[in-house]
Amino acid sequence: MIKNFIISGSGGQGILSIGTILTNIFMLGNKFVTYCPCYGAEMRGGAVHCEVNMSDDELYTLQNEKADFVIALNQTSFDKFISKVKEGGTIIVNSSMAKIEKTRNDIKYIFAPFTQEAIKLGNIKIANSIALGVLSKILGNLTMENVKKAYEKILKDKKELIQKNIDAYLFGYNYIQEKEQIQCQ
Amino acid sequence: MDEKVLLKGNIAIAKAALNCGCSCYFGYPITPQTDIGEYLSLEMQKKNLAYVCAESEIGAINMALGAASSGEKVMTSSSSCAVALMQEALSYASSDELPIVLVNVMRAGPGQGYIYPSQGDYNQATIGGGNGDYKTIVLSPSSVQECIDLTYKSFYLAQKYKNPTILLVDGLLGQMAEPAIITKNPYPDIDNSSWILDGAKNRPSRNIHSLEPDQNKLNQHILKLYQKYQQIEKNEPVWEEYLCEDADIILTAFGTMARSIKAVCNHFRKTRIKMGVFRPVTLYPFPYKRLRELSVKARYFIDIEMNMGQMLKDIRLGVLSNAQISFIGKPVGDWLRKEEIISAVNNIIKEQYASI
Repeated sequence: MIKNFIISGSGGQGILSIGTILTNIFMLGNKFVTYCPCYGAEMRGGAVHCEVNMSDDELYTLQNEKADFVIALNQTSFDKFISKVKEGGTIIVNSSMAKIEKTRNDIKYIFAPFTQEAIKLGNIKIANSIALGVLSKILGNLTMENVKKAYEKILKDKKELIQKNIDAYLFGYNYIQEKEQIQCQ
Repeated sequence: MDEKVLLKGNIAIAKAALNCGCSCYFGYPITPQTDIGEYLSLEMQKKNLAYVCAESEIGAINMALGAASSGEKVMTSSSSCAVALMQEALSYASSDELPIVLVNVMRAGPGQGYIYPSQGDYNQATIGGGNGDYKTIVLSPSSVQECIDLTYKSFYLAQKYKNPTILLVDGLLGQMAEPAIITKNPYPDIDNSSWILDGAKNRPSRNIHSLEPDQNKLNQHILKLYQKYQQIEKNEPVWEEYLCEDADIILTAFGTMARSIKAVCNHFRKTRIKMGVFRPVTLYPFPYKRLRELSVKARYFIDIEMNMGQMLKDIRLGVLSNAQISFIGKPVGDWLRKEEIISAVNNIIKEQYASI
């Protein structure tokens, strides 16, 4: 099995954080995985994306042209990476910060207002974890134990944020069940 | 110890350097290798080792020369355009026979270029930009695990041959994270008590210098260096082969590029084209001998690099006229993707090798 992911948004949205968390989850599941952060001179406010490539075979973890899954947390990254979704792939879009617009009919779109939901949950910074939860629901094979371990590892210096993020992740995980029909029409 | 951890290439190099006893680090920040210095600045302070953020790259490598001559295990790291500044000191270190380890995490050039990943420093590392007859050992990792293993090896070879050693890392690999095992340093320590400058108590004084006004002595010195280089070329070439035994077409690449090329190779194997991959791990000494053996059997070689064909010259020297050689390359920016390579290889097969 080979799965490629692009996670994108603007600096400060926690793009690289959920990238490393996803990578750690795969590593804990004994997969071969690489994580490539891509950012230029800009950090906060600039465009950021990272690629996570997972496979059962070491050879296939690098430099794939297109992704099976793209998460786009703002309009710029939605525009930029829509062409990078593989045929039959899925793009998960933050509709709080991007227009709901479908330009391709060979891929699956999932729109959800991650930023608004995060504000409702009390912390705008956890929008990224909600998006990760949605992604993992579609993937379907991540164990909650590894997810917890990964969060604990990445946020070991900010312990108070671990539970908040895991809650947000679970919120995202369950979100799609409830709202899928509305969002995916 | 043998638990897998998620590591960036840069951090893996820094950790490995500490594990094998690096006692002095001198450096100056430059993307994409700054993580090495950042990590070491914290860790070396804790262990009471010498970390100096130098005033420039020229300062950093000259400090490294000084510390190496007093017997310390020394490392410096930098990137392309700043490694260019270090070339003079590399020539001096080669003449002085100082074991320094230089990590070059490549970015795009020439000139200032930018921080995009590239493999453009093959010539800079293997041929060198310093003056005179000298050579530096060059190792090229292709995974984060190899960043660890080859850092150990760099220190070992530098000490063993008293020669500067360059760890040539793709910018992509320095920044990329993947699971790796932090192994123990497998190499023995080399006794350096016969030449280091540690104070001439109870022994005659020594000095290390490259100035030699006596023509005969200078000749002798260069001949001695060349005997050493011959030993290195005989003993140390390391390479990796993948499905080369029965291959008609052999793809060649170094560093991370070799990994996606194995996937390309598998793709063509499925279409019954006998393809293999040859990757030099040591870029100097280059494994010419093995390449020549392979070229007797294989009919075509396709060299693939993230530059405009720098290793191509060494492939030609290895293959000679035994087989045809083609090149696929891209200078900078977006990494060559698997799909791009497959279609480029397909084109070459269609145009040139219609008989296969």
